[in-house]
Amino acid sequence: MTAFAKNQWYVAAYGREIGRELLGRTFLDEPIAFYRAESDDQVIALADRCVHRRYPLTAGRLDGDTVVCGYHGFTYDTGGTCVFVPGQKRVPRTARVRSYPVVERDSLVWVWIGDPALADPGAVPRAPWLADPRWTTVGGMEPIDADYGLLVDNLLDLSHETYLHGGYIGTPEVAETPITTEVDEGAGVVRVSRHMDDAECPPFYARSTGIEGRITRWQDIEYHAPCLYLLHSRIAPVGVGPEPDGSDPNAFHVEITYAITPSTDRQVYDFWAVSRDFAQDDEEVSTFLHDLNRTVVLQDVAALNVLQKALDTEREGYQELSINIDTGGLAARRILARLAAEGEKTAPVVASP
Amino acid sequence: MSTPTAEVYRIDWLPGTDVLHGVCHCGAERTAEDPVELWQWMLAHPSGHHPAVPSEDQPTGHREEPRS
Ligand SMILES: [Zn+2]
Repeated sequence: MTAFAKNQWYVAAYGREIGRELLGRTFLDEPIAFYRAESDDQVIALADRCVHRRYPLTAGRLDGDTVVCGYHGFTYDTGGTCVFVPGQKRVPRTARVRSYPVVERDSLVWVWIGDPALADPGAVPRAPWLADPRWTTVGGMEPIDADYGLLVDNLLDLSHETYLHGGYIGTPEVAETPITTEVDEGAGVVRVSRHMDDAECPPFYARSTGIEGRITRWQDIEYHAPCLYLLHSRIAPVGVGPEPDGSDPNAFHVEITYAITPSTDRQVYDFWAVSRDFAQDDEEVSTFLHDLNRTVVLQDVAALNVLQKALDTEREGYQELSINIDTGGLAARRILARLAAEGEKTAPVVASP
Repeated sequence: MSTPTAEVYRIDWLPGTDVLHGVCHCGAERTAEDPVELWQWMLAHPSGHHPAVPSEDQPTGHREEPRS
């Protein structure tokens, strides 16, 4: 399996998903309860297990800023400190649940998994179009029953669009066009670019942009390992390029954002969003792009579920074969392995005698 | 935010061919038809990297050094 990278920020939810109802999600095998404080609307993330008998806090209820365990009433404040236990005045000093650092940015809620002392809110990668009024965004989230590494592989190699998503977003040119791959080792970023000069326009773009005929299609991926995947997509009629000053008024831009958040070694949350800088107020375009992209995501979900089942029947040390299209995916795998190793190193260790 | 650094490795798939062309941040280059092999060479930097023109961040160029 792909090792988890600790001491990293992960997308936990869209901001709109978290309110005055407890939301439970598991990240890197850690069950976490999310809610918004009543007093200041801040997102709170606490370990989803009562310190008393391990009952999930998400099965309890909110009372103002606090969470009340649904089993025996242990009550926790926003920092995870127990402030009430039933029947006695003294609250044991060790009665606290872990609280997780949280950052809400660009409409996403990020949670830090690892040593809280190392959490730097400035290190959260950005996807500004998600919360920019000049862009219109549709999105969702689908869980996949697979190792998160399979989703990283999937997104870093878009040649699969031609085969798995043909008739939706894939056309023959995607698989045929050579890619350029860059790894910024220090930043932990993989970039994969595929610029198609003269390509068929798939329904996803034909129906949303109204372009009839062939297109120039650029796909520029920026993967900020481990979680955030950005696909900068530029669509224009064939031969129409950006202006000499760098502006690009005659093209359609779509920012496709994915967040890949590992849940367990056999489940990953696949957050997806499609942002566009055209037809911003057109509800029909919004509905079309939402439904079509969700269909595409569900094709990936089905494929990766099947793939994981097949891999689970393989013997240890099975062979794979990588070709040119895998150049970006291989780079991503290696960065993930490095981040996982670094996360282990900096995790608090018990001194050996 | 992931701030860009100078440690950038690049692999171009040469159009019209099956050839991959790798360039290390030290300026060393190599072509291959197997991405696994090319990444192995690339990430072994500085071992086996002999840039034609030393890049600015590596003014002394590259000697072959054992990997630690
Ligand atoms: Zn080198």
